[in-house]
Amino acid sequence: MSITEVQFQATAVEDAPAKAIEGRSQWQLTWRRLTGDWVAVMSMVVVVLICAFALCAPLIAAATGHPVYHAFPNKGTNAFGQPVGPGVNGFPLGTDAIGRDLLVRIAYGARISLFVGLFTTAVAAVFGVSVGLIAGYFGGWVDTVLARIIDAVLAFPFIVLALALAAVLNPSLGIVIGVITFFSWAGISRIVRGQTLSLKEKEYIEAARSLGAGPWRIMFIDIMPNLLGPVLVLATLYIPTAVSFEATLSFLGIGIPPPAPSWGNILAEAQDHYQTAWWYVVFPAAVLLITTLAFNLLGDGVRDAMDPRTERILAGGKTATRRRGKHRGLSLDEAILVGEQADLSVDHPISRTEEG
Amino acid sequence: MTESAVDDFPSEADMGSDVLVTADKLTKHFPVYGSGVVRRAVAQVRAVDQVSLTIRKGRTLGLVGETGCGKSTLARCIAGLIPVTSGKVYFEGRDITNLSRRAMQPFRREIQMIFQDPYGSLNPRRRVGAIIGDPFAVHKTSTGAERKRAVQDLMARVGLNPEHYNRFPAEFSGGQRQRIGVARALALRPKLIICDEPVSALDVSIQAQVLNLLADLQDDFGLSYLFIAHDLEVVRHVSDAVTVMYLGRVAEYGPGDAVYDHPRHPYSAALLSAAPAADPDSAAQRQRVLLTGDVPSPINPPSGCRFHPRCPKARDLCATADPPLETKAGDPAAHLTACHYPVQEGEILARAGRREHR
Repeated sequence: MSITEVQFQATAVEDAPAKAIEGRSQWQLTWRRLTGDWVAVMSMVVVVLICAFALCAPLIAAATGHPVYHAFPNKGTNAFGQPVGPGVNGFPLGTDAIGRDLLVRIAYGARISLFVGLFTTAVAAVFGVSVGLIAGYFGGWVDTVLARIIDAVLAFPFIVLALALAAVLNPSLGIVIGVITFFSWAGISRIVRGQTLSLKEKEYIEAARSLGAGPWRIMFIDIMPNLLGPVLVLATLYIPTAVSFEATLSFLGIGIPPPAPSWGNILAEAQDHYQTAWWYVVFPAAVLLITTLAFNLLGDGVRDAMDPRTERILAGGKTATRRRGKHRGLSLDEAILVGEQADLSVDHPISRTEEG
Repeated sequence: MTESAVDDFPSEADMGSDVLVTADKLTKHFPVYGSGVVRRAVAQVRAVDQVSLTIRKGRTLGLVGETGCGKSTLARCIAGLIPVTSGKVYFEGRDITNLSRRAMQPFRREIQMIFQDPYGSLNPRRRVGAIIGDPFAVHKTSTGAERKRAVQDLMARVGLNPEHYNRFPAEFSGGQRQRIGVARALALRPKLIICDEPVSALDVSIQAQVLNLLADLQDDFGLSYLFIAHDLEVVRHVSDAVTVMYLGRVAEYGPGDAVYDHPRHPYSAALLSAAPAADPDSAAQRQRVLLTGDVPSPINPPSGCRFHPRCPKARDLCATADPPLETKAGDPAAHLTACHYPVQEGEILARAGRREHR
């Protein structure tokens, strides 16, 4: 190739219509790392399947011909009035104590569980981020008051509160959501407050102030994008907690009131029958286990994907550099902190807590 | 400086019209809290103590001194980023000391800052276009396509590729990032840009590019700079006048050539003698003034002249009387020195300073 040719090509490239140069955002990089992690991909698939299972509950009911509240005393129970097993009389997963289709009940239970899990986490995240931002950014007496409230909520015995509420009021979905949200936001607030305390000392925050930006603009436009990473990880890990929390409350009879199905109250009802009807306890417990496990593994994957130290892109998508094992044995919040250290290059929030 | 010395301050009387910013006996003390149950200030860090200075329109005032001498604190006081303990800041004759955020807003457009750390001063999670467009967004001066065009014009003006509008700061080099910071500072067409060590974090070759850019912008837009650095040659290169600070006080002020070629304060002389010379012949002839001891704590600064425990020329008077900032015999009127026994022409200061006797 002659020099003129090279020059010709060079000009041709320059003359080509200027393509918009788009920087690869943190989110695009995170997504690439996440999709390079087969455990995370598998758990994403499982989560999607469970969501589809919940959304398709009416279709399942229609396909089997067994409405969720409809008991089938004749074909749904055997001669001794006991539940029938999987595959018997057209019940794919068998029936419950009064002859209702267990598959349909579990599918409708998934709707409640996922709704409670996602809704409470979303509300807790919005509220927790707001409180944490305000406490961390304004400092002073605002921070003192809010930080003490956070401590008080985290110190509260949640089962006792739930039992007390259930005793005073009738158990309902609203109370379940209220109780779970009440105990979820404080953990998020504490992390956000710690991050905000260190982020607000950054020079770019001072730059924003020198431009004349007000506190709300700084909090929500300058600081918030830097918090989305840890909050997303935390939220992904709070969903399974909320799901099992709901199951716990329902199991104790202070959650979703029967006959509305929930994995927790199905398991509670199964207590009397598990010696004769194994399917009655195994299937709802398995779905609960798979759901919480999938969300937990996904949360782990998201945290790893946000941590540039794993460098899975450079490793060609191999998962050999997984560091998940390192985080075992740490509490949830500690693990988040460890995971987020490199990602955000922020100071350890613990070292930033007020003296005295 | 003493009360009377302020009257000697040259700017107000003879050059009133071209003065952009005046700091008058500016003082900033940071409280030090004890470890008790009740938060109580047990001491004050005297970061900036009774400092007066003047920034002229279209000129550059250099500010030099060791780390911790109060340069950056002074800059932040003038920019209105931290409240002032006492003293006044005037912008074009108007008092802007400790204004509320709302009242300060119009002056924010006139006073912008460029920061030291090109990595820390740009939000890593926001795109460059959004960062440079921030001043427009905060002051609601333009929107949408108009703002984008203004931002891209700014990027082109500071030597960035306007097509990189959607990139993140992490995708730029240190020098490019500092250009982003310059573009952001320039966006609202300010009259004063406070440069807080704008090139300290950059390679020498990149430093020159950024300094030339700042010089070009000064010519084009008639900007004034308050230029803070600890690189003495950089300050001399860019500055019309130089202020030397020591432990929260002004030690010496004057036109760049006067201070650099004929330093009168022993601290300035020591500081300048520590800078490496490019010419080896002159370097061989030079006398290094070696100072002993460390900079005293600004929590409990020395009595009298703050430099006296380390000063090779210190006498008893220096420990008791605070020297006024005034023109010394034989100096031009604009050259001020805060010293009882200023350095004479040809005097050799190489004698090691006395040990701290406090």
